[in-house]
Amino acid sequence: MHIMFLLMGFSLFVATGFLIAFLWAVRSGQYDDNYTPSVRMLFDDGVSSDVYDKQFFGEKTKEGERVNGNGKI
Amino acid sequence: MEMEKFNYDNSIVRMFFIATVVWSITAFTVGLTIALELPWPALNLGISWMTFGRIRPLHTNAAIFAFVGNAIFMGYYYAIQRLLKARNFNDTLSKIHFWGWNLIIVAAVITLPLGITTSKEYAELEWPIDIAITLIWVVWGINMIGTIMKRREKHLYVAIWFFIATFFTIAVLHIGNSMEIPITLTKSYSLYAGVQDALIQWWYGHNAVAFFLTTPFLGLMYYFMPKAAQRPVYSYRLSIVHFWALIFIYIWAGPHHLLYTSTPDWAQTLGTVFSVVLIAPSWGGMLNGLLTLRGAWDRVRQDPVLKFMVVAITAYGMSTFEGPMLSLKNVNALSHFTDWTIAHVHVGALGWNGFFTFGMIYWLVPRLYGTKLYSVKWANWHFWIGTLGILFWVIPMYWAGITQGLMWKQFTPEGNIMYPNFLETVTQIIPMYWMRAFGGTLYLSGAILMAVNVFKTTKQGTFIPEEAAEAAPLVLNREAETTTGYKHRWIESRPIQFFILSTVVILIGGLVEAIPLFVVKSNIPTIESVKPYTALQLTGRDIYIREGCYNCHSQMIRPFRDEVARYGEYSKAGEFVYDHPFLWGSKRTGPDLLREGAAGPLKKPDAWHFSHMRDPRTMSPGSIMPPYPWLIENETDYSTIGAKISGLRKIGVPYPEGYEDRAMADIKADAQVIVGHLKSSGVQTTWDREIVAVIAYLQGLGAHLDTGK
Amino acid sequence: MGVSEKHCFHCGEHCSDNSILIGDKYFCCNGCKAVFQLLNGSDLCEYYEIDKKAGITPNIDIVEGRFSYLDDESITSQLLEFRDGKMSTVTFSTPTMHCASCIWLLEKLYSLHKGVLKSVVNFPRKEVSITFNQELISLSELAALLTSIGYEPQISLESIESKERSHVQRKLYYKIGIAGFAFGNVMLLSFPEYISRTGEVDPIFKMVFGYLSILFSLPVFFYSALDYFKSAWGGLKQKDINIDVPITLGIGILFSRSVYEIISQTGAGYLDSFTGLVFFLLIGKVFQQKTYDALSFDKDYKSYFPLAITKLIDKHETIVPVTTLEKGDRILMRNQELIPADAILMSQISHVDYSFVTGESDPIEKMNGDMIYAGGRHIGAAVEMEILKEPSQSYLTRLWNNDIFTKSRRPQLSKKVDELSKYFTFSILLIAFSAFVYWYSIDTAIAVKSFTAVLIVACPCALALSSPFAFGSAMRIFAKHRFYIKNIESIEALTKIDTIVFDKTGTLTQSNLDYIEFKGDILNKEEQSWVKSVVRHSTHPLSLKIFDVLKDSKYFGISNFEEQLGKGLKAKVQKQEIMLGSAKWIDTNIEGVDVEAKKSHVFLSINGDYKGYFAISHHFRPGLRDVISNLFRDYSLFLLSGDVNRSQSELENIFGGSDKLGFEKSPQDKMDFIQSIRSEGKTVLMIGDGLNDAGALQASEVGIAITDDIGSFSPACDAILSGDELPNLSKFLHFSKATMNIVLISFGISILYNVIGISFAVTGHLSPLISAILMPISSVTVVAFTTFATIFKAKMLRLN
Repeated sequence: MHIMFLLMGFSLFVATGFLIAFLWAVRSGQYDDNYTPSVRMLFDDGVSSDVYDKQFFGEKTKEGERVNGNGKI
Repeated sequence: MEMEKFNYDNSIVRMFFIATVVWSITAFTVGLTIALELPWPALNLGISWMTFGRIRPLHTNAAIFAFVGNAIFMGYYYAIQRLLKARNFNDTLSKIHFWGWNLIIVAAVITLPLGITTSKEYAELEWPIDIAITLIWVVWGINMIGTIMKRREKHLYVAIWFFIATFFTIAVLHIGNSMEIPITLTKSYSLYAGVQDALIQWWYGHNAVAFFLTTPFLGLMYYFMPKAAQRPVYSYRLSIVHFWALIFIYIWAGPHHLLYTSTPDWAQTLGTVFSVVLIAPSWGGMLNGLLTLRGAWDRVRQDPVLKFMVVAITAYGMSTFEGPMLSLKNVNALSHFTDWTIAHVHVGALGWNGFFTFGMIYWLVPRLYGTKLYSVKWANWHFWIGTLGILFWVIPMYWAGITQGLMWKQFTPEGNIMYPNFLETVTQIIPMYWMRAFGGTLYLSGAILMAVNVFKTTKQGTFIPEEAAEAAPLVLNREAETTTGYKHRWIESRPIQFFILSTVVILIGGLVEAIPLFVVKSNIPTIESVKPYTALQLTGRDIYIREGCYNCHSQMIRPFRDEVARYGEYSKAGEFVYDHPFLWGSKRTGPDLLREGAAGPLKKPDAWHFSHMRDPRTMSPGSIMPPYPWLIENETDYSTIGAKISGLRKIGVPYPEGYEDRAMADIKADAQVIVGHLKSSGVQTTWDREIVAVIAYLQGLGAHLDTGK
Repeated sequence: MGVSEKHCFHCGEHCSDNSILIGDKYFCCNGCKAVFQLLNGSDLCEYYEIDKKAGITPNIDIVEGRFSYLDDESITSQLLEFRDGKMSTVTFSTPTMHCASCIWLLEKLYSLHKGVLKSVVNFPRKEVSITFNQELISLSELAALLTSIGYEPQISLESIESKERSHVQRKLYYKIGIAGFAFGNVMLLSFPEYISRTGEVDPIFKMVFGYLSILFSLPVFFYSALDYFKSAWGGLKQKDINIDVPITLGIGILFSRSVYEIISQTGAGYLDSFTGLVFFLLIGKVFQQKTYDALSFDKDYKSYFPLAITKLIDKHETIVPVTTLEKGDRILMRNQELIPADAILMSQISHVDYSFVTGESDPIEKMNGDMIYAGGRHIGAAVEMEILKEPSQSYLTRLWNNDIFTKSRRPQLSKKVDELSKYFTFSILLIAFSAFVYWYSIDTAIAVKSFTAVLIVACPCALALSSPFAFGSAMRIFAKHRFYIKNIESIEALTKIDTIVFDKTGTLTQSNLDYIEFKGDILNKEEQSWVKSVVRHSTHPLSLKIFDVLKDSKYFGISNFEEQLGKGLKAKVQKQEIMLGSAKWIDTNIEGVDVEAKKSHVFLSINGDYKGYFAISHHFRPGLRDVISNLFRDYSLFLLSGDVNRSQSELENIFGGSDKLGFEKSPQDKMDFIQSIRSEGKTVLMIGDGLNDAGALQASEVGIAITDDIGSFSPACDAILSGDELPNLSKFLHFSKATMNIVLISFGISILYNVIGISFAVTGHLSPLISAILMPISSVTVVAFTTFATIFKAKMLRLN
């Protein structure tokens, strides 16, 4: 069953790759802010308007706090 | 430095979107066809390239790589540009990516029905196409990494991590599993044999599901779900944990596809354990997706997009729970080889991938065309038809699977198997097959409705090929430098092309070096009586592969009382050492064939096989196997036999030197024997017909047991 | 937004009838109107669509040059994080950001001013870091821009110190990443050993897997686990055996024995247990390190003293850093500016608001020549002052020279775990040795085996995890109730206290919620609007208060307005003569007016006849009585107040007996008092709010700072409690006690596991599999138990 070595080889190759990626991510401060990006991505559109939402929800509905508790403090 | 103005490239998104719609209809139609061919074999109209065995791989490939694949790239190209505030690295690469990918699929559509296949599930395509896939994949990778490097947004949103994982892992998997030795342009043999081939194949098979059907869609979920709900994801922190946990665990769960097979126990248990552990991150992701909607359920009622996504994520949750369950040995003992597995994968495919893709399309198209969706009402209709379709699809299949599984295992008080005739267990579930077909029809018609709807939408709007945007250039990693003095340039500075290509090259090179070591001197207990296939058997085996017999007939007898009672002695690793590729199969629509040629009550005369191939129902009334008249008419192509033999010798099959030259004589001799048998039973044929080779192969299966005695 | 009653389009506040109208949109004040026009101008009105009630009423009184000191090179250079050529980056803390819209707007700054290139928000930290072109916009203009849209940056002495952000968290993540990675792989490699019948696995596998496992474990041992070794060593050096000692012992042996077994091919080793153990321990660490990005628990006067001040050098103004002020300097204090050092008022009059210091909200009136303590806010027209002492030597700030503050960590109560670990460690060693001795005579090999095995299984992983997880989840539950605790040690300390000392003003009373009532003849609508019309023209804080009370009435033009500093107002409205002010001012001698606390009464006469007076009185926090009476049973309570003994009677019957009350206590007095009762062997919880409590908060075992606006200033403390949650205080204390018990129980559980493990060990039967099972199971049960028990308990106390 020496093929297992090959399989492990693959797995370790991949896993190591991800470990490096992980360390890089932490080091370059990717995870210093674990909240704001999730809000920021909501604003990342170019010029595309929100006709679409208007279709379902009439003019923009003003309901609901959009920021959830997690980020608050 | 000034605010930079640039455009998002929407046309590449559009191209992939059109491809997605087209291929979805194709994949579903093919699916429906094979679904109908089971209860209604005549449907293939006696055309060889219409038979179940040949187009079932077409269906799986179309569904996975054509439909889901294009959907991934559609969403990917829309999301990544906006998440990174940058246009794609290179438009030409994008176009190459699109055309390359879809040409590969076209190639699949042509080759698979022609029976040009490696027989390894979800990797059936032959070696030239495999190479093409590798190249195109690398093109995508370069384009992605390039975009990441010219990004204007420092933070890599979690979705992007999922995309990176997809690229990297699939590259490794594909290369690892596609190690083949070419014989002709259209024929190759897997470098690995038997058990080893099986391990590699299912390690690939599993992770293909993981990293092609799951991670990219999770990435898309983390982008399109918050977008559609207009809320940030429930917990971004959780999503990050979700990613890393999933990545580190998934890669090890492969072997669970081989429970009870001749793979080492520990490898099997390994698979099981990691599969069970997987529930945690998977469900973390599911909840994160669903909770994103907390306080917005009113929107779900109004918005078909959210409807689709909610069902999709729920389906993801269900199948990620069911998967580990199926990997538990005692469950697997029942479920394996039955329609249960088929139902399981379709919860994922129809529910998770299908519905999420529909959701994306309904969300994207109006934006791409700066207009409203042509008909929200139709979209809602699509949702309900589709949901019904899924239900009508999977419920009968669970039923069928469990029923058949139980029937196989049933014994009479006297201790004989209750249904010795496999066919009884098949006829029992034919009604379910009809119902499944009905479900499929609903699902397909839903998709058609969507196609019309989005087509009308595109007509009423005007396409926005370039979407203007602006952002400040990114001063990379300054923060890190000022605080830690650490530079990341080492990764940025290196030309990416080189970076990725070298990885791939090293990988391939390393494998070519390494594999012979593992394969040739693999310490699998060889069985004295197990001999390499004779030239005739080998030819028969290749025809068996061409016709896709393995799609319905397993060649793996698990160590259960009922299987041993039904098919004979259970399989040993040593029996497969010359099987390039392995042909264990994953589904028993027909009986197992591993001992088809072994002496015993089940042993059938050559004439039986001959007539059975001409028309199965004459031999076993009610059989749902299609006739194979062309095997009887076709003249066998022996032109490549020499190449095959020397090729196999290269990868460790001990054919004596110079057997290539003696092969034809050998073949004639063996063939004449069979022709003789047939003549004596009043069947006329000549030695050079394909049927002869096939019979030789079938009668050879398990024959070593007799010689062993 | 209903059309019927009017709401400010910007901030969503209710608008009084004299609100500003633009098109169909109402605005409650000019500030809001200004912001709207700004956003509208650069069509950023999407701001209002993203989130309802997004708008923040900007601080109306931004004085010209309020931020001009930022342009002083010495200061600029200290504030900027990064600078290349004309491009600079600065990070401001803007506590007012509160929703998605804020993020959106703050990151769109570039469309408000072309000088801004990029702005990135860190919401959890309530910070925005801005890259801008100094040639186009100066630092001060940037600050002003932020202020003008309602996000006034908090700039203080502190902002220039400790720019460097701590990367503790990052280091921990590396360690976890590596440990987790190694754990996964080693587990993978250990599988053959566990599940294969002997002989099934080819020896070559065993060997290769073994060596691979060692390879993976090395970084875990030498990097991920390092902190435990360090802390254990640190403990030992102080002759103190903390929990990390047995842990170090355990993992040390675990690692070395495994390595030995693998290399000598005598066994498979326990490297999976080892890596897993370290991994779990680190997870525990993360869990207990709950950080509240937006909060700071160790603020001192620096964190709200101004960075710079306007100094008068022969009559012309120059901005100088506060730190450079010296005795005798002349400074110019503008409205709302904070007095950085003890000084003498050189101008006519100033109203000094000491709410920061004492929590006392009523501004105190200072006359020419009066001595003014640092820390107060000047209200009113710009005045001149002469510095008496340099900032660090001033009355208030002297507190921080006290060694209590210089001491890095004040006497911590020894942690239960550490107390326990002494006995634990010794008994383990005892067992280990006796096992060794017992076997030695029979079989040396087994002797060594069992000796090491005992230390391995006894490794108190679960023990070490129980309190992080119990207290950790307690912290989270507290946080839900806006009771933010610095660290789990503080919770543990909370369980031990027996005495509670309260500060009065701002702690028991709600400074921002004084209520004003008019005593005397009821004023009709007309009269009310007359009064309003008059006070409208006065900047006196009491006038402002009265103006607020009458917000619903109209006001008219007035004539011959006259304001006598320290006396009162006088004016004609619609031919009526209105007089407001001290009793003497409206010269009527009033009978029947109780003399208590005259200072906050404003008397009114219309056309010479006395109408009554506005009484501005303090307002105790709702539910105060109940919480005090609850606490009475278990704790002895004291009250220390910085100001005059107003409402003493009321407090006496709340606290029972005047001996528990102390008034007019200086910050120093408060600190001394705490120290004195501590020296009597009491364990003290101090609850205060203002800077004047800072000393006391430090001196006590646990100091809780009350604040009505989380994220705004609060003095150095162990916990920050939102004012309206004060009534829950007794619950909180109870809950922390309950949590402590949960921890003790979980200790029991983990010790039980140890006993089981040891019973295997001493007999020399500890197979890698058993330890690999025992270790995670014990940890998981303990973690699960503690977490769920705490949550359950919280439910019982209706804490979530």
